[in-house]
Amino acid sequence: MSDTTKTQEPMTPSGSTDERGAALIHVAPSPHIKDAAAHTQRIMTDVILALLPIIALSIYLFEVYAIKQLSICVVACMGSEFLFVKMRGKSLTLKDCSAVVTGIIIALSLPGSAPWFVGVLASVVAIGIGKIIFGGLGMNIFNPAMVGRAFVMIAFAQLLGAASYENVTGLVDAVSGATPLSALKFNGVSMETAALFWGMTNGSLGETSSAACLLGGLFLVFRKTASWQIPAGILLSVVLIAGITDIAGSHSGLLLVHHLFGGALMFGAFFIATDPVTSPLTPRGKWIFGLGTGFLIMIIRLFSGYPEGVMFAVLMMNAVTPLINRWTNPLPMGEA
Amino acid sequence: MADSPTPFERFVQGILPENPVYRQLLGLCPTLAVTNGMKPALTMACSVGFVLLCANIVISLIRNLLKPHLRIVIFTLTIATFVTIADRFLAAYFFQMSKTLGPYIPLIIVNCIIICRCEVCASKQGVVTAASDAIGQALGFGLALSSIAAVREILGTGMLFGIRVLPDAWPDWVIMVLPPGAFITLGLLLGCVNWIGILKARRSAK
Amino acid sequence: MRSFKESNLFQAWLVLLLATAFGAALAGIQTKLGPVIEANKTRETLAKIPALVLGEDPAAALASQKKSLSITLRTIEIERNGVKKFYTVYDAFFEDGTLAGYVAKASGQGYADKIELLLGLDTEGKTITGLFILDQKETPGLGNRIIEKPWRDQFLDQASATRLVVGKGNPGKANEIDAISGATISSRSVTGIVNNTITDIKAQLVIPPKEAAEKPAPPGNETGKIKENT
Repeated sequence: MSDTTKTQEPMTPSGSTDERGAALIHVAPSPHIKDAAAHTQRIMTDVILALLPIIALSIYLFEVYAIKQLSICVVACMGSEFLFVKMRGKSLTLKDCSAVVTGIIIALSLPGSAPWFVGVLASVVAIGIGKIIFGGLGMNIFNPAMVGRAFVMIAFAQLLGAASYENVTGLVDAVSGATPLSALKFNGVSMETAALFWGMTNGSLGETSSAACLLGGLFLVFRKTASWQIPAGILLSVVLIAGITDIAGSHSGLLLVHHLFGGALMFGAFFIATDPVTSPLTPRGKWIFGLGTGFLIMIIRLFSGYPEGVMFAVLMMNAVTPLINRWTNPLPMGEA
Repeated sequence: MADSPTPFERFVQGILPENPVYRQLLGLCPTLAVTNGMKPALTMACSVGFVLLCANIVISLIRNLLKPHLRIVIFTLTIATFVTIADRFLAAYFFQMSKTLGPYIPLIIVNCIIICRCEVCASKQGVVTAASDAIGQALGFGLALSSIAAVREILGTGMLFGIRVLPDAWPDWVIMVLPPGAFITLGLLLGCVNWIGILKARRSAK
Repeated sequence: MRSFKESNLFQAWLVLLLATAFGAALAGIQTKLGPVIEANKTRETLAKIPALVLGEDPAAALASQKKSLSITLRTIEIERNGVKKFYTVYDAFFEDGTLAGYVAKASGQGYADKIELLLGLDTEGKTITGLFILDQKETPGLGNRIIEKPWRDQFLDQASATRLVVGKGNPGKANEIDAISGATISSRSVTGIVNNTITDIKAQLVIPPKEAAEKPAPPGNETGKIKENT
């Protein structure tokens, strides 16, 4: 119990001691567990383990670019976590590894060719504006990694947009074209299903291989670190909407396959949307969250100027998560 | 306000201790909308200052003639007149700037800084006090706007007043000149101002 | 006196008086500044016309010789799908009365908001001689690059007979406009507006040479003066 109370204490401006600290019931934000630090650490180690196949594949595909991007983001995330937590005068939270996970996810969601300051800025914004400003891990409304990525995505649209994936020299031949989704959307070019599934395509570091994402994702689900309802909901609604669009436009399955395996869908469904802090608590809420995210992904992919929509979809659903939690709040036994 | 303040006190208070944006959180619409560059921000601050000064003087002059229930009507009438004058003036002599600011000049009519100062100060104080209050508040507003605009313009375009201040290698943070940048900058600067306030209070308590 | 000040009658007079005074002030401002504002609006468009019709360098040369084009304004009205549309067209004449070209003002939906542009066409309405974006609110850094000269210059000398298409990666190809990377929608919007404008006004654009000769602009007519025609 000691750790939960400790995280709650400095909510009021430092210096003024909170007299309600003596109250019997603590209203603390999620995660509600006995030994917060140890548990968070276990979750985060699981996530890092699950991310290993994706990291390995991205290093195989993008070589130096992947290693450079990963190390920049992880170091920058840990550095800013250290700095901002110090500024708030709290005990250090580096050992719960959440900053490492945020760093890896940011790196994997960026194109390998992005210059160094993109990763650094994304990390600082993710940790500073996305997490610490809200009160640290467990209090943030939005997925920190996606806040950071959204910031750099809008700030450096030219470096991160569809064009940034093209004309990259030094990469393997297979991966120096447009990303599969933007190629399909803007030029009507499609790719082989096998290449899409195994990840021999271009894209952000971690999104290319659906196989690696599935492998890591299923590990998370079996370990019960990630709830299975959210990825299931996302995949279900994406398959439904992409399937209908496919049949309506008679694309003979190509469009469906591209939307399933060609973008950041798998990575987002298993690693981004399942963040326990920013997704609903109840199983029913998780279904709503998953279905809603999948729906928004397809809306953005099909009707907006962006070829990919996972990031914005997750952020939007993060915003309605408190509302979903309220709707699906289970009634105590005996009532109603 | 009970034991009538001196004009000088009203003037000083408006700039920092009662800064309309950082302390009273008033007039946030133009604060967010026109601070993507120093030029529009300062034009907006000047327009607001002009309207505020004129409205405060007029209201202060007729304050003894007015019955309380009519005052909001008169305030709005006065403010709308001076806003229209400012709007026409900009359109005639600063046409490009007037196009850049678009609807935000006419929207000064509903700027709560002005109606607040009319209500709180001008309708109760003499002309000199009201005028110095208006100037103080306008300077405070200008200070707040230009501080936000400076951060946004430098980070977003690498320029200040349209002149390059950062090296060409600087990657422009486009997000800073877009609406989200306004919210982020305002939030962070507001945090800084509060933080400095807390530090000061703590030091004076010791 | 005290009681009179409190009375509703006095208050009513006060409001009335103030309203009259303010109204008079505004009327004064409007009579003084109104013409200036109107002149600003027309000048903004007219100043661009020589460069759009003749090209930048000849226009600068013309200005350095203290010569100017005389410009007349007309409205082209077309009906498409039962909806009436109006285009403002400026006919530009040299000082000797020969036709220099046309400029049409057009607008359409962009990615963020309406895009307003000026399109210059040669005397026969067959070639695009210039494009200028008057007003746009596209995303800074991406879509707003439609205002940049290198991109706009792709429209120069394109034939108006075939519709322009937006492509990628082969600049210089006839009838193809290279999309701005990351701003395909803005690029398509501008190209679409240009295409639509040409289709809409083509039939009524060209003044037959005979007719053009019949109504030469009176010599000495400066740029900035507009004669209503139609």
